[in-house]
Amino acid sequence: MVAIFLILDIFFGSVSIKASEVIRAIFSNTNSNFETIILKFRLPKAITALTVGVALSLSGLQMQTVFRNPMAGPYVLGISSGASLGVAFVILGFSSNITPDSLNGLGNWILVAASWVGAGAVMLLIMVISSKVKDIMTILILGIMLSSGISAIVTIMQYFSNETMLKAYVIWTMGSLGNLTANQLNVLLISVSAGVILSLFSSKMLNALLLGENYASSIGLNVRFARVVIFICTSILAGSVTAFCGPIGFIGIAVPHIVRILFKTSDHKVLIPGTILMGGAVMLISDIISQLPGSESVLPVNAVTSLIGIPVVIWVILRNRKYSGPF
Amino acid sequence: MKMNSKEILSLDSLKIGYVSGKNENILLPPLTASANSGELIAVIGRNGIGKSTLLRTLTGLQQPLGGDIFYSGKNIRDYSRMDLAQKVGYISTEIVKVSNMRVYDLVALGRFPHTNWIGKIEMNDYKVILDALKKTSMEPFSRKFVSELSDGERQKSMIARILAQDTSIMIMDEPTAFLDVAGKYEILHLMHMLSNKSDKTIIFSTHDLQMAISQSDKIWLILDNKLIEGAPEDLMIAGAFDHLFDSATVLFNSEDGTFSFRSESKGSIYIEGEGYKRHWTEKAINRAGFTVSKGKTIPYVITPSYNYNFWQLSGQSYVQKCSSVYELISYLTREVIRPI
Repeated sequence: MVAIFLILDIFFGSVSIKASEVIRAIFSNTNSNFETIILKFRLPKAITALTVGVALSLSGLQMQTVFRNPMAGPYVLGISSGASLGVAFVILGFSSNITPDSLNGLGNWILVAASWVGAGAVMLLIMVISSKVKDIMTILILGIMLSSGISAIVTIMQYFSNETMLKAYVIWTMGSLGNLTANQLNVLLISVSAGVILSLFSSKMLNALLLGENYASSIGLNVRFARVVIFICTSILAGSVTAFCGPIGFIGIAVPHIVRILFKTSDHKVLIPGTILMGGAVMLISDIISQLPGSESVLPVNAVTSLIGIPVVIWVILRNRKYSGPF
Repeated sequence: MKMNSKEILSLDSLKIGYVSGKNENILLPPLTASANSGELIAVIGRNGIGKSTLLRTLTGLQQPLGGDIFYSGKNIRDYSRMDLAQKVGYISTEIVKVSNMRVYDLVALGRFPHTNWIGKIEMNDYKVILDALKKTSMEPFSRKFVSELSDGERQKSMIARILAQDTSIMIMDEPTAFLDVAGKYEILHLMHMLSNKSDKTIIFSTHDLQMAISQSDKIWLILDNKLIEGAPEDLMIAGAFDHLFDSATVLFNSEDGTFSFRSESKGSIYIEGEGYKRHWTEKAINRAGFTVSKGKTIPYVITPSYNYNFWQLSGQSYVQKCSSVYELISYLTREVIRPI
């Protein structure tokens, strides 16, 4: 199914290309403009969409389990904001000649590392708070406050930065899958792969954490170690995506719930692969929709993910009122 | 330290409590107690005295603030998290609330300390899980979601989870707290069976003193200044339970383990009759504030027997036939104590 969406995503774009041309572009050397569009733009963009979907959804799943909070996700808890603060520091703060377009190999790693640190810092803060405050909604509101606070800081940084830097940053915040250079895509792929491998390793721990810290500990889980692994994993996943594509909302929170509804299980040995596939698929669909197939205009992908994700989130909130428990 | 061959757990001057910052808040004086393999041990003490803290410390969820805990002669500090999880299982009062988790999955989580890095269930694990489900009679529920279970069924699945964990010691914090009477006895029966037949050592806290006295092999009675351990009957004989109650208002009956409220006697009544009807009539008369006299006095009550099917209350100037204990007591309180 994911493969189908991947292919569909390559087929649709703002310049309509006949299906036969697409196939010819991929499998033969015609050297046409179409080939350039397909290979240089659409294929990387589809791969980016897939990677972003996988990364955000997985980090959402892990956060939901580790915080025992069905509303957790990289966007709502402010993890993406944290990452964007890291990015803002790099783009607006330190160097006037770094822009996302001009970044070379090392620069990309600096950008992504700053993003990890930003994401990690917020994640750490939320972890500390949620060990003291158990109420799901309180954590959620704190996450929103944190996001707002960070936006405020970023706004101040924008105020003091020059025009080129500002423009580069604003474009970045709009969230885009299509502006990645080959080098950036490489960095993204490597980071997300590392995160995915780490998350596969964490599935047993996540299963134990479903029962809560005390029970998890009583059946032999080293809770502190598990938290560190998941913390690193989530920061890498959410941070990398945010570094290159800007904050993309509601995928991380919604996809794990869609997977739970489909598979009717709480077992992470099923949920993790399910979330990887579903995350990729949902992001590809969002990208296809944002191309507005048949027309020549393109929507911001963030708008599409929000429209897909928000109904799921509302459904979870309403259902939760009835059962009053996590998940 | 003396070492009994069957002794599986011993506490040696154990100090329990919480650490907040640099301050150690030690709840109780050092505790010394022991448990043998296969024993059902009730931990009794008033609310907030530290029963849960003790059980959490025994499970390794909290560090001892002093003294030692030995499991099979080995100090708890020398156990790794995983090793301890193969020795001790734990059920707290915390209710597991996870949707989409089936009973089977919950029980399978008990295999956590026995499975590989990804938690793969091997044939042997599967057998243990199935056996745990059977022993707790939860097998028909294995495909049900935990969120759909009744309180009793959920508690049984939690017990099945510890059975799957395959530990020789089970620690349960108020395992019957949320349950109705039927559920309570079902769980208790299960605990009894596990300690008797499967040789599990079960240490549980409870507020139900009568249940603890009648069912457990040993009681750890936690008082403000010490822990007293012994068979329920030993503690009864020693009058240890009296310390639990405010003796000015509550009277603990050392003969049958019941308690009643201390009050001025409204008078004494003689009861003629025997068997369970006499037993319950006596209870009702006591509750109404009368004492039961040993020698024949007036007024007196004749309880139903084969030639009566009513209670007959006879006084100096009246004879009253009552069709139930309720009627008898109403008559007694209304007529007999009315000031003349």
